[in-house]
Amino acid sequence: MADSSAAPGSRRAAPVAPEAVVQLIVFRLGDEDYGIRIEQVKEVTVTPEVVKMPKTPPFIKGIANLRGDIIAIVDLEERFQLRPAGRPVPDFSYTLAVEAADYTLGLMVREVPRPVTMPVSLIEPAPEFVQDSGQRDKYLEGIAKLPDSEGVIIVLDMAKLLTPSEIMRLPGRSEPPATKADEAPNAPTPPEKP
Amino acid sequence: MKSRDQEYRELFMAEALEYYDAMSRHLSELERNPQDTEALNELFRLMHNLKANARAMGFVDMGEVAHKMETLFGQIRGQERTFTGSLVPLTFGAVDTLGNMIRAVGAGQESADAHTLLDNLERLIQGEEPIQAATEQTTEEADADAGRKLELSDLVYIPVKKLDNLLNLVGELVIDRDRILTLAAEIGNAALQTTAQHLFRISDDLQYSVMDVRLVGAGVLLNKFPRVVRDVAAAENKQVELTLAGQDVQIDRNVLQLITDALLHIVRNGVSHGLEDAATRVAAGKPPVGQLRISALTERDDVLIQVQDDGRGINTEAVRQKAIRKGVVTADAAALLDEEGVWMLLFEAGFSMAEKITDISGRGVGLDVVKLAIDSLGGRLRVNSELGKGTTFTLVLPTSIAVKGALLVELDARAYAVPLLHTDTVLALHADEIFAVGGLLMTRVQEENVPLVPLRQLLYVEGDEPLPRATRADLPPDDTLHQVLVVSYNNRRLGLIVDRFLRQQSIVVKPLSKPLDTIDLFGGVTLLGSGQLCLVLDVPALTRLFLTKRP
Amino acid sequence: MNKRILIVDDSFYMRTMLKNMLTDAGYDVVGEAANGQQALEMAVATTPDLITLDVILPDNTGLDVLKGIRQQQPDAKVVMCSAVGQETIVNEAIENGALAYIVKPFSEERVLEIVGGALQGDGPRA
Repeated sequence: MADSSAAPGSRRAAPVAPEAVVQLIVFRLGDEDYGIRIEQVKEVTVTPEVVKMPKTPPFIKGIANLRGDIIAIVDLEERFQLRPAGRPVPDFSYTLAVEAADYTLGLMVREVPRPVTMPVSLIEPAPEFVQDSGQRDKYLEGIAKLPDSEGVIIVLDMAKLLTPSEIMRLPGRSEPPATKADEAPNAPTPPEKP
Repeated sequence: MKSRDQEYRELFMAEALEYYDAMSRHLSELERNPQDTEALNELFRLMHNLKANARAMGFVDMGEVAHKMETLFGQIRGQERTFTGSLVPLTFGAVDTLGNMIRAVGAGQESADAHTLLDNLERLIQGEEPIQAATEQTTEEADADAGRKLELSDLVYIPVKKLDNLLNLVGELVIDRDRILTLAAEIGNAALQTTAQHLFRISDDLQYSVMDVRLVGAGVLLNKFPRVVRDVAAAENKQVELTLAGQDVQIDRNVLQLITDALLHIVRNGVSHGLEDAATRVAAGKPPVGQLRISALTERDDVLIQVQDDGRGINTEAVRQKAIRKGVVTADAAALLDEEGVWMLLFEAGFSMAEKITDISGRGVGLDVVKLAIDSLGGRLRVNSELGKGTTFTLVLPTSIAVKGALLVELDARAYAVPLLHTDTVLALHADEIFAVGGLLMTRVQEENVPLVPLRQLLYVEGDEPLPRATRADLPPDDTLHQVLVVSYNNRRLGLIVDRFLRQQSIVVKPLSKPLDTIDLFGGVTLLGSGQLCLVLDVPALTRLFLTKRP
Repeated sequence: MNKRILIVDDSFYMRTMLKNMLTDAGYDVVGEAANGQQALEMAVATTPDLITLDVILPDNTGLDVLKGIRQQQPDAKVVMCSAVGQETIVNEAIENGALAYIVKPFSEERVLEIVGGALQGDGPRA
């Protein structure tokens, strides 16, 4: 008989020597390559059906059912204002499910992401010149220069982006959209479900 | 552990005792008024039912007595005879005998021989007189009759709907309780705070008690499987030994109901694809008889239901290739999946591992129904497999769920669910039934002016500014009917204008996860049967939003 | 898509047993009615592929219910459930459009055979 305790366990092998090598999942936003450390990515999938959710910022594409998890799908191109004018949102896209401490978030990308393994030493702290790209620099870990002039990968630090208030923040706004509960004449406190 | 036989027996008992009480009652009525057709019809029907049920349970004598009684009452109904003479005491005696037989079943005893009674009933049916001995009561028997205790069944059948309603009401109570707790703290009155604390504890207990009522043993479902496995194994020409475990693990009846089909699929799949036939097993050095184990166990707040086989295991690469071939996943995306990720592809729509569609597992649906069912419950699915050794499917299920009745409405081709708790009425209004007062559209509902607002405006108009002042000129000039759902919260009614009404349905509300849990207009989300996501509107929040934004 | 069946019987025990047999065999039992009134309402509300109908019900006879159902939906497929010795009613039911009848106490094989046959459009049978 097979082992009955289907233990969740670690799903991907950790990098052999974490100090030396880093594995990134790389995808395109606008005309640039972005990367997320593989251990922050739960899975890559074809974007499931997304249901638009009213009262959310435009870069929240909506919610989707990802293997039973109902997750928010975020368009990072729109969030970071990287989409060149006139380029439409693609009909077909991929979603990277990234894991925060207590929830999962879907990042929508237009092309299939690819894994890239490189020495950690290639990632350099972000230089000044990206400072003009909205608030993106706030969430950068650094920039990796690929050997043989294969370009650069902008490495995002998901932990910084994944606090709910940061995700919901509109570019150029300091507060996430307020909820109306405070103004209510007779607002019950939602109970904790036992 | 409660087997299906036991379940049948309990049902039979409860219903038979009910029949017995009703028979006694109607017999007395008939004795008072032999022309009472209603009593006669009921006696006929009750005898008929008791006969059929007793025969199905294999209680031959009971079935025979009821059968002859049915025939007798049929004759009376057909005016072939009257309810007089020796027939009267004999039928009373027969109903008593039936009562004794039913009680004997309940006590697990043999019932006394009914030969004489049956002979006498047959004589009556043939138009003969019964032999004396049977109709003469001894004093002892008469005393026993007079002193007979009244018995009520210990089981009460409660429609699940009533329990759902109870649970919803308790949910409401808990909301108000929390509010009172907050208010008590604000007011700062010690006595009030103590009372509020007490209320807190009691309503908590109440909520658990109500949820507890709906718990049943997992055996209710598990015990259905020996038959299923036998049939599938026979059809597939395989030898399977089934083991069941954890039948007494407690789980919400509605959860079981919702996963029945899913479990059926997994088990059928396990026998037809997981386990090999005897020859293949022997060739692989395994015993010819395949092992299948279905078990329920508790893990923290969840119930796990596992289906475990010692079959061929999942060929991960074959699944990966097939998923690509079937277009379930792209080759690039598939390359990124680890083993477990690939196994989960088995549950994607459009994937069916069997190359030949057998009658057993290929009923036109694949394992994707499993995922849909589990998703709709907020449960999870785990797969564990080792090539050549076997596969384990684990359903991780919540012990209890709140199923709510909801009305589905459509807006811009999207379904939204509104909990029935807050729906008041639905209206289809002509333009001339709508009037404008102070920038608000209104209509009359039961002597009350109810404001109307397009749901579209509440959901999609951004910003904190008041809604635009509405006039009747905004209404389309043609004859279109305006579909209005009147919701109520805190005795305040509000008419939401929607595109159309879809249907009423029971939903399981899943809370929205971060970062969207701050959007209070939505009480959560539910998965419709099709797997489609549907937002659940929060009527209190919608009402509040309307109040703050009304022009 | 599984075939959808409505069960009409005034005995909870009978309904449960019949329901178990049918669901085990892969049918969807979309409703259970305990009397004629419920049966007529549910026949409309649940649009079943097949109705199993007990011949003796508290408020109507099964025959009246059969006629009512056939009036609402002339194409409705109905299988009568009866006990031995009710051949007269059963014959009348067949004349009124019932497809077949099942004799109580039910044997699972018979039930499935008759239900399956009726769904496939066989003529009257027993």
